[in-house]
Amino acid sequence: MFKIMRGAGGERVFRAATITALALLALFFFSIIISLLTHTNWDTFIRALVSEEILFAIRLSTTTATIAAIISILIAVPVAYAISRNDFPGKDLVDSLLDLPIVISPVALGAALLVFFNTPVGSAINNNVIRFVFAVPGIVLAQFTVISALAIRLLKSTFDGIDPRYEQVARTLGCSKPEAFFSVSLPLAKDGLIAAVILTWARAVGEFGATVTLAGATTLKTETLPTAISLSLASANVEKAIAVIFVLIIIAIIALLAIRKLIGRRYQI
Amino acid sequence: MIEIKNLSVTFGEFFLRDVNLTINDREYFIILGPTGAGKTVLIECIAGLHRIRQGNIWIDQVEVTHMAPEERNTGYVPQDYVLFPFLNVVDNIAFGLRQIKYTKPRIKERVEKLAAIVGISHLLYRNTRSLSGGEKQRVALARALAPSPKILLLDEPLGALDLRTSKYLRLELKRIHKQLGITTIHITHDLMEAVEMGDRVAIIQNGQVEQVAQPEKVLFYPGSERVSDFIGAPNILDCDSCQSLGQGVMEVGCGNLKLIIPHEGDSVHKVAILPRHVYVSEIRPPGRGVNCFSGNVTSIKYSTSAIRIGIETEGKNLVAELPHHIFEEMDLTIGKEVFLILRMRRIRVYENSEA
Repeated sequence: MFKIMRGAGGERVFRAATITALALLALFFFSIIISLLTHTNWDTFIRALVSEEILFAIRLSTTTATIAAIISILIAVPVAYAISRNDFPGKDLVDSLLDLPIVISPVALGAALLVFFNTPVGSAINNNVIRFVFAVPGIVLAQFTVISALAIRLLKSTFDGIDPRYEQVARTLGCSKPEAFFSVSLPLAKDGLIAAVILTWARAVGEFGATVTLAGATTLKTETLPTAISLSLASANVEKAIAVIFVLIIIAIIALLAIRKLIGRRYQI
Repeated sequence: MIEIKNLSVTFGEFFLRDVNLTINDREYFIILGPTGAGKTVLIECIAGLHRIRQGNIWIDQVEVTHMAPEERNTGYVPQDYVLFPFLNVVDNIAFGLRQIKYTKPRIKERVEKLAAIVGISHLLYRNTRSLSGGEKQRVALARALAPSPKILLLDEPLGALDLRTSKYLRLELKRIHKQLGITTIHITHDLMEAVEMGDRVAIIQNGQVEQVAQPEKVLFYPGSERVSDFIGAPNILDCDSCQSLGQGVMEVGCGNLKLIIPHEGDSVHKVAILPRHVYVSEIRPPGRGVNCFSGNVTSIKYSTSAIRIGIETEGKNLVAELPHHIFEEMDLTIGKEVFLILRMRRIRVYENSEA
């Protein structure tokens, strides 16, 4: 089949095929947004948007996502650096283990966390240290569990792209190993770091499966934006659901624009 | 002084086997060898960038074998300079000075002084991405020299530059070395660079030091057949007469072959010219014909890199090396008469009569 596509004619057919795929996908997403817009009653939309419940969900989602993103980045930086720069027995196994949260369903992760807090150790933590189950810290933990793997993956590819010789040269210029990391590798990783912060934060805002399983879906208590969509649809309040969907779309657009604005096209996700 | 004893290291595909070297204070020491010989691994060991399991390194009588790089006080210029892209030229040079807590006025003074020495005063506020290869090389050199290291390690500093810049920077590096008097180890795979720049040369092949000597000795008395092959098996001619023609030019007699060479000394014991610096022509070249001789082809040897032509002229057998594309344009056969030109500036001279 590929033989008959040789020459300029083949090139045109191939180009048309790839552009058609792109156009179809763009049309698919565009249709979804149009259908949302046509289903929206703007008065109801505005009323839903400024309702106490949605404003609470926005505040809760952004706060918990910010905390989860900060914690995950603080942990992902050393973990990603360690995996990127060191060879050790079982590295592939550890690397694959850290990818698990990306491939496992978030509901399964939430259920696993719930099971953990039913063990003696988990139960002791939940009862005596911080209450996670059906509580706000549970939202942060669920978001952290889901997004940490993403943060590690993004930062590992960033550190992989930084030539270790920058640090070596810094060390011959008088830097200790930690000084070389902070004064050379981290500034070199700036673009990747910014992208990782924004993307993990945006992913945390949109996290639903693990959150609802561990923290529950109690209105004005553990109701995040995705939980609000689920609760609104469950009570057949479509306008409210659409209002929240638009909030999530706006947050996603702001996140992607922020990446473009801050680091331009230098960082390819 | 740097002393390396019984150093054996393996780093990926590269390795060193039982390396022993002594490098004197203020010496410009060249490590010469083919690609993959282990030259870079050797200077990276001196800089402290590899863990050493066998052997020892001393710098000024202090054992540094297991010392961290930051404790060794070496200046390192990697092959592709590795300038910090997020810093401009000034901040690249000042990087090491900030680590040793220089005050701002002292940093400014030191950076300006070094920039003047290496000739980049006009580039100080430029982004490093916008610099040419030669400029980057100078910035990397200034950065390495800034914290006043005891040793300067240069990894193929001229390898990535065009021929003209490279030749100019050879002189500049020697001038800077003379001005600062810093012990310098310079890696290269270019024999002529080694001969022109080095006080002494160590030849490394397959991770082993084959020979350490003054550049002329390496050229005229290769320590082994492998060294001779590596340096291109130069044509070496014994001189039996010499006569100064004034203005730094001398005529030397090697049997019936009379050569004009640039030389200001008293006597010449031997001269050498690499086969790739012997030019061959099928027709008599025009002009006065300095060091131009006629001869007959005695052998033609093919190899993957070049064709080696044996030519008998004035009772001497010389070897010329031609690139494949040049050889293919010529019609050379055994016994054919050809003309040779031995470029005056390419002839190396050995004065001492002791081997």
